[in-house]
Amino acid sequence: MSDLAASDQRDVMAEAPPFHHLHPLTIFVMTFNGLGRNLLLIPVLYFSVFNRNLGLTALGTAAVIGLIIGFSALRWSRFTYQVTDKEIRIKSGLLHRNNRSIPFDRIQDVSLEQQLLARILGLATVRLETGSGGGDDGTLDALSLADAEQFRDFIRDYKREGAGDSPGDIVGERTGDAEASQPAEQAEYPIFAMDMRRILIAGLFNFSFILLAILGTVAQNFDFLLPDGFFDPRNWLDSLPDSASFNSLSAAQRLIGAIGAITTLLFIGVTSGLVSTLVREYGFRLDLVPSRRPGFRRRRGLFTLTDLVLPIHRIQAAVLQSGPVRELHGWHHLKFTSLASDPSGETDHSSAPCAQMAEINAILGYTSISNAAADLAYSPVNPAFWWRRAVMTIVLIGAISGLAATLFHGGFYALLLLAVPLIILNYLDWLHHQFAIDGGQLFVRSGWWRRRLTILPIRKIQSVDVSQSPLDHPLDLATITIGIAGGSALTPLKIEAISKTVAMQLRSHLLHSTESHLTGVIYDPR
Amino acid sequence: MNDSANQEQLSADSASNHSHAGGAPQAIIAVQGDDISAYNQGLTPLDPAQKKLLRIRMIIRSLILLLLAMAAETVLHVKFGVMMGMFLLPALLFVAWMVTLLPGRIYRRWGYDMGEDQLRILRGYLWRTDTIVPFNRVQHIDVAQGPTQRSLGLSTLIVHTAGTHNSVVALPGLATDDAEMMRETIKGHIRQEMI
Repeated sequence: MSDLAASDQRDVMAEAPPFHHLHPLTIFVMTFNGLGRNLLLIPVLYFSVFNRNLGLTALGTAAVIGLIIGFSALRWSRFTYQVTDKEIRIKSGLLHRNNRSIPFDRIQDVSLEQQLLARILGLATVRLETGSGGGDDGTLDALSLADAEQFRDFIRDYKREGAGDSPGDIVGERTGDAEASQPAEQAEYPIFAMDMRRILIAGLFNFSFILLAILGTVAQNFDFLLPDGFFDPRNWLDSLPDSASFNSLSAAQRLIGAIGAITTLLFIGVTSGLVSTLVREYGFRLDLVPSRRPGFRRRRGLFTLTDLVLPIHRIQAAVLQSGPVRELHGWHHLKFTSLASDPSGETDHSSAPCAQMAEINAILGYTSISNAAADLAYSPVNPAFWWRRAVMTIVLIGAISGLAATLFHGGFYALLLLAVPLIILNYLDWLHHQFAIDGGQLFVRSGWWRRRLTILPIRKIQSVDVSQSPLDHPLDLATITIGIAGGSALTPLKIEAISKTVAMQLRSHLLHSTESHLTGVIYDPR
Repeated sequence: MNDSANQEQLSADSASNHSHAGGAPQAIIAVQGDDISAYNQGLTPLDPAQKKLLRIRMIIRSLILLLLAMAAETVLHVKFGVMMGMFLLPALLFVAWMVTLLPGRIYRRWGYDMGEDQLRILRGYLWRTDTIVPFNRVQHIDVAQGPTQRSLGLSTLIVHTAGTHNSVVALPGLATDDAEMMRETIKGHIRQEMI
């Protein structure tokens, strides 16, 4: 029996392609990153371990560097991968060996990532996404850029042998091999790109206080470098030429000061939005790769360059995001949901961060998803959606303000005023929570401030829940939750506050119907 | 657009869609009306042995609860002179309810329906959830069994879908034979597809 196994193994060994190492320069990158992480060790050595002895510290530092290099080299030598005709196998680990095999069938998308150092050295990290939920499914960190691109193209053009070849009903590409018969050598061509002006527009709508938060954190962590009492505003006032002059300022002048402070905050918010957008989206372009399995290729990034290919047949749903001001100017953010999450950490694949509807329609034209018709009649959800929240808001704020008012000061009743904007927000959210079925697709809109339109081909639905909370029972309302292969598990696609009868009917339609008799059905929210 | 006509057409459609093998169709159509009060809406109940299993779990939980209550009682009595039984008596009443009435109540609120091409699972009362998983959306199936379940001849059917929401749908309290039969039925519908 052991003979048999041995001969088996020999056969496999004879046929199997060789195991490769990563690019040797990877050791350098790993060492560099390792040094960066351990930089604090040097002052520790200098001040505490070697008691300010420069020679010993130099020796110790050299030893640390040597250790890091040795460790990196060891890790490099223990990481090998093999590309067979069906799968990629990755062996890794120093003591705890891990032997992973990823069938090409299961790879959702392949992305290349080049951080700044890797760009200088001509390296690229290959990330393989299978959508197994763990995120880090297979990473080759790093190959030479040419090798990485070749590997990416190899996986993209990979096709299962045999008859069961069409992508199948579950992804709903009935056309399947129609595209496949196209010649594979067609050159890719751009379908969407963002110039500097567009990036600035996107940045304006990306208003955030992230920069402020980062500055605050940095200031807190490095406050030993700053003079004492740096954050105490009184010190600042004292340092004014004549602090008495501030006290003598008129109310109008103080108002101007307050407006100035708010303007500064706004300026910081806008700037950080612009900067973070510029860093992320610089050079954004989306190309169509007309291979046997067409896909969208997305390149972007100022410092870290990412290069991702999303196969079109993997797309499960499209998401259009916008905001009140953005939508007024016709700007939308197009994302695609697929089983894999975007390597940047978002759950959906950002495919056009700032685009007009015409541009989005052009992109959608390459997929089997079509945009909502301009005159699509949406069904509203039950008004209980907003008034139930309004009642709860009033009860909650009323309780808090009442408690605070009796305990501390009657002025706390003013907190009740907070309820007004909140209720208005609830009402606006209700106006913007709608759904429709048209042409075999489910459209769900939600949110007034963060507007979101999800376009889901009905044949891609994995499961449907009808659920009722205790508050739903007296009103006979229900919530529909739809399982999609992809997207966030925390915020699944939901249609809230529709009558239970409608929910049951809608569900049986979503699960059973063919596309023909579904067009233009309007559901009464009651 | 004529709404009421539409609604009628819809119900007719859903009726034809629900032509299941089992005796369930009438029940399901009735549900679409106002049959909220029916505990499991006419769906197949779980195996009666599940009630025993629930009771065993409740007994274990109530023992822990009683121990905690006794500890609290002693501390309160010795340290603060609280009258004996102020804590233990309500706890005893609650435990009695947990062991006698609650298992049956939980049991009644579960229901499932094996349709021709879909599995429907109903659970909960205050927070009620009614899940449908089409068979051809199932990625893989488990039949799981714990030690207590094994002694009662019960199994849990676990269905995995590709969806991020409902990636795992579990149906506990099936007779092992039933669970295995359901697994075979569903297995026949699984197709090798990529997502």
